[in-house]
Amino acid sequence: MSEENQSSSAPSNPEPASTRSAVPMWIIVATLVLLFLGFVYFDNHSGWFDPKIYTPYASAEQLDAYQPRSGAAATLAQGKKVYETYCGICHGPDGQGKPATAPPLAGSEWVNAGGIHRLTEIPLAGLNGPIKVKGQPMTFASGMVPIGAALSDAELAAVLTYIRSAWGNKAGEVTADDVKTIRASLGAHSPPMTSEQLMKMPE
Amino acid sequence: MNPAETNPDCNAKIDASCRVPLLALFGGAALWLVVGLTLALLASITFHQPEMFAGCSYLTYGHLAPAANDLLVYGFAIPAALGVILWIFARLSQAELVLPLVPFAAANLWHLGVVIGLGAILFGGSSGFTWLEFPRASAMLLGVSFVLVAISAVATFGQRKERELYPSHWFLLAALLWFPWIYSTANFLLVTTHPVRGATQAVIGWWFSNNLIFVWFALVGLGVAFYFLPKLAGRPLQSRYYALFAFWTLILFGTWCGIPQSAPVPAWLPAASAIASLLLIVPLIAVAAIVWKTLRGAGVPGGGGTFCYIKFGTLAFIVSGLMLMASACPQYSRVLDFTWFGAAQVQLQILGFVAMILLGAMNEILPRVMAKELPFKKFVAAQFYLSIFGVALFVIPLAVAGVVQGRAAYDPAAAKIWLMISTTGLLLLLVGSVLLFVNISIMTVQWKLALAKTVIAYIKSPLETSEVKS
Amino acid sequence: MKNGFAIFFAVLVALGSSWLGLVVAPAIQLGTAKLDPVLNSSDTWPQQRTGEATLGLQIYRANGCAACHTEQVRQAGVQAEVSLTGLGKSNPAEFKAFVQSLFILPELEKVTNNLAAFVKDWNGDLPKTFLTTDDLEAAGTMADRLKAAGLKSETLIVATGPDIARGWGVRRSVAADYLYDYPVQLGGLRVGPDLANIGVRDPVASAQLLHLYAPGAVVKNSAMPSFKFLFEVRQAGATPSPDALNLPKEFAPPAGYEVVPKPEARELVAYLLSLRADQPVYEAPFTPAITKP
Repeated sequence: MSEENQSSSAPSNPEPASTRSAVPMWIIVATLVLLFLGFVYFDNHSGWFDPKIYTPYASAEQLDAYQPRSGAAATLAQGKKVYETYCGICHGPDGQGKPATAPPLAGSEWVNAGGIHRLTEIPLAGLNGPIKVKGQPMTFASGMVPIGAALSDAELAAVLTYIRSAWGNKAGEVTADDVKTIRASLGAHSPPMTSEQLMKMPE
Repeated sequence: MNPAETNPDCNAKIDASCRVPLLALFGGAALWLVVGLTLALLASITFHQPEMFAGCSYLTYGHLAPAANDLLVYGFAIPAALGVILWIFARLSQAELVLPLVPFAAANLWHLGVVIGLGAILFGGSSGFTWLEFPRASAMLLGVSFVLVAISAVATFGQRKERELYPSHWFLLAALLWFPWIYSTANFLLVTTHPVRGATQAVIGWWFSNNLIFVWFALVGLGVAFYFLPKLAGRPLQSRYYALFAFWTLILFGTWCGIPQSAPVPAWLPAASAIASLLLIVPLIAVAAIVWKTLRGAGVPGGGGTFCYIKFGTLAFIVSGLMLMASACPQYSRVLDFTWFGAAQVQLQILGFVAMILLGAMNEILPRVMAKELPFKKFVAAQFYLSIFGVALFVIPLAVAGVVQGRAAYDPAAAKIWLMISTTGLLLLLVGSVLLFVNISIMTVQWKLALAKTVIAYIKSPLETSEVKS
Repeated sequence: MKNGFAIFFAVLVALGSSWLGLVVAPAIQLGTAKLDPVLNSSDTWPQQRTGEATLGLQIYRANGCAACHTEQVRQAGVQAEVSLTGLGKSNPAEFKAFVQSLFILPELEKVTNNLAAFVKDWNGDLPKTFLTTDDLEAAGTMADRLKAAGLKSETLIVATGPDIARGWGVRRSVAADYLYDYPVQLGGLRVGPDLANIGVRDPVASAQLLHLYAPGAVVKNSAMPSFKFLFEVRQAGATPSPDALNLPKEFAPPAGYEVVPKPEARELVAYLLSLRADQPVYEAPFTPAITKP
């Protein structure tokens, strides 16, 4: 046949041509239907370009619902949020404190104490004057405001539990009941304490 | 487009103008095909005999497999494709190849780049990205030489007298545009001093792999097939608008595939790829319809010639496209992810589709360009039969191995027998590739001897008396 | 099709759509990612590797380990596990009765079978996971009821999937895991096991070195070639080197010789030991095991 044993002298086939018949309608319709199905799939499975959504999660609400929340994990998550909102401004996001503003919480013996009374009284009553932390006497431009007045029992308990287990601290939890008892014992408008007064209270 | 009145002398001149660059491109490609298939065979053997090259750091599987794959793609497929594109553009334009020495120089640069890349991989300098293992120096050589060949091809395209484009023109021009784009993007963002960070590297790597192995090879393979099939069958392509539809749907949908369903990236990326893979059925159906309508009742005999190569290649493309769709489907991807099935699809695309179409085209083009018959004409049919059995024996057991592996939760022993069968397929392909290499080498040697004889005869010829001034 | 420029432009747009969508958009979204916070902790993720492990990543790349190993864990679903940690003043029998009394609740309709099985089999030991379900509402209702009854319980979020069931990970891999990797070696083929958590599964360096030198000694019929060229066989002195591998008889060198890892082998093992994806992040939440079983 001509095309296999083509030598240069024999005439080669002419260059190819094409007809102009139309594209059948059914394939265009099929493409549009598939595009629609694809869009539906994208709507259900893509998370709409959210960089945090990975399969098997399909939406931001679903991903949020599966975040661990029970028991200790929930308390710590809540405590971290409260800390970042109220405390981190002065005590620093890493609990290292800021010079002349607030003492460090990481490694602090006040935070790591066995009992929780003194620690809980600080945000409930406020603290003025110098305080010795980690062996260093420290003074500050202004005292600590009684921030605990703005927080509920559960929130204050959560943030105290959080600081007692963050940044290398390894102390136990503070429950909402403890906070409630101590708040009641301090009374409504107790004045800010000094560190000497605190040392006289039970641990 | 009305078939141009083909003047045999005109065609002979066009073919002769392509001779030097095409010999450089095809000759190197044939050699790399043999070397690449040899390395692939060695790699395949190490699965059942892992201790075979245990002591040698150069021949560890982690070197052999990427080296073999890169040689098949960058050493064989792309240079062969470039050569075929140059010839098709020259023939369709009915004009001689413009600046033929530019692609000749580019071919040599390209092959040098491949040598450097191969050495880098075997000596542990691979870049670590699939299909981009060649180091920066090699990548620059490849990029520059591709652009040089593309310049010559586009200039030849510009010389056409018939202004209306033939469908192959769209496919091949898009291919000439797309490769430099994807290659330069991937190399700039991955293999340079300021790569993108983290998982972005993986996304760009997948985008590049899909666009090179599936889309670019589809553009080239279909462009070449839509040229040769109607021409050899003596019938027009059915139809122009159908081919236009196939072209647009291929580049709109095919380019978005590639992100695996299990990827550690936000969900919208695998979702986009899954949708694109679903829509891939449209160009596959279009291509199948075009080929069937064009060849229905054409009656071209078999015998293992170019026509058989190209028909097989087109069929392999459709199967490979279906395999790609299957592995992107979320239900099947749970079993098929990370198995030999994906490797089988890639190998079918390279060895079953592109290689067969380019081999058929090379066997058709070489005698015309050299103005001489192939030294061993029977090798063409022999290589065809070796190749189709080779591809079948290589790809099908590999795909089965993938399914078995996936269902056995990646237990390596489960698929061993299938891997052994697929090694025999590679052996057949290797023997076939040697046949082509023999043919091209003999033609090259004969041509160079003839050239040398002409030069020597010219030197030895007595001077015309008018030239001697005394 | 005669208007060449219009066609060229249309092809440019069509081809460029994937470039915009799969290259530019992820580069903007993922390429600017910063460290992820670990859930319920002040740590960030991922941790930077040691210098030796960073060199080991380049050894991993140079030897093409990604040709056979992947470094990504998949996840098919997520479940909530409610476990009882404290009975307080009740006893097991009372608790069982309490659980049975909750069967009438509509939210717990789908899980009554699991709960019934628990009620039958439980022998009273604590802590006990008594409800495993992917129905978050049921798990939440159960947890609320327990809390209201004064019992201590934990609700664990657990990732599920075939890779996780195989012990290859505790959650899916996310983009943050690869922030410090260049080149990212995700791999595409699992001839060997997944390595995303190999530093957690196999944390002993000497075992990893032995596996690299003689995979057949560690895994029967292993398909992994041996990486002898990363080791040096040299004459042993009177006392063996502290680094010398402890090889079984078939793989041991001749008498008087020892096998010692080269620096490349040590770096590669340091890299493997640094591969861990065991911290929960927002994109892939789970509760790390609170109490040991």
